[in-house]
Amino acid sequence: MTTLITGGAKCGKSRLAEELLEGFGNKIYIATMQPYGEEAHAAIERHRRIRAGKGFETIEKYTDIDETELPRDCSILLECMANLCANEMFRYDVINDPTERIMRGIMHLQNCSRELVIVTNNVGSDGIIYSPETEKYIEVMGRVNALTADIADNVAECVYGVPVVLKGKLCC
Amino acid sequence: MIMITGGAYQGKLEFAKRQFSLAESDIMDGGSCDISVLRTARCICNYELAVKRLIAEGKDPLGFTDKLECEVVIMNEIGCGIIPLDKSEREWREATGRAGCMIAEKSETVYRVCCGIPKIIKGEKN
Repeated sequence: MTTLITGGAKCGKSRLAEELLEGFGNKIYIATMQPYGEEAHAAIERHRRIRAGKGFETIEKYTDIDETELPRDCSILLECMANLCANEMFRYDVINDPTERIMRGIMHLQNCSRELVIVTNNVGSDGIIYSPETEKYIEVMGRVNALTADIADNVAECVYGVPVVLKGKLCC
Repeated sequence: MIMITGGAYQGKLEFAKRQFSLAESDIMDGGSCDISVLRTARCICNYELAVKRLIAEGKDPLGFTDKLECEVVIMNEIGCGIIPLDKSEREWREATGRAGCMIAEKSETVYRVCCGIPKIIKGEKN
């Protein structure tokens, strides 16, 4: 089963994602945020505290998710698509479209796991026109999210901790 | 009238084409097409950009919106950020919000598309 959780910033997506994996064994947390700067360190610390005692093994993988080595039949929480997308897009001198690479990664995770939860982010509802690079990022995020939602069994948008189901159902 | 909204790049236009069997020639882009043909187009996309252009041309976007005769209106949700510092951006955002409310009011069905998934937020759920 694959579940995609979207929503705005700091709206309880991670907590919901962790709840969805309660009761599953062999839990793996794939962290995509690169620990650059104070705020990233603080965010990572906060997430580690929340996850502590919930039985996750953490794998830090910032790009090339399709190359992640995983045990069979694990349950996976990938957090989050927004970081993964940025890491992939801006990893070379020239901006590239990572849609295909990311989707290959998602399918790899689906193949290895019994249960997969992916946390993403809603960007692009603020009406601001950004630089071409950022606009491209918003476009890629939109496409990757729609493609992932298409191959997911369940999709929910988190609103201040309240899950609003867009597809399938949530088992928690 | 049918309204389709949601954030940028969520798959609104693709959904509209599929759901309402729209041909490319049925769709007018509010950001680029001749304003005079917008009102009676079968489908307008990027209506929020039409609002911006109407303001720039000194026309009343709400009066224009009131007379829309389209079958399908697609417009981005743009009001979820910080109030813009720039006055004209604020005017655009406000006019778009008000125009969106008018279109939703007139529409028998309003869809909101997120991650490519359309949800009916007003009208018959079938």
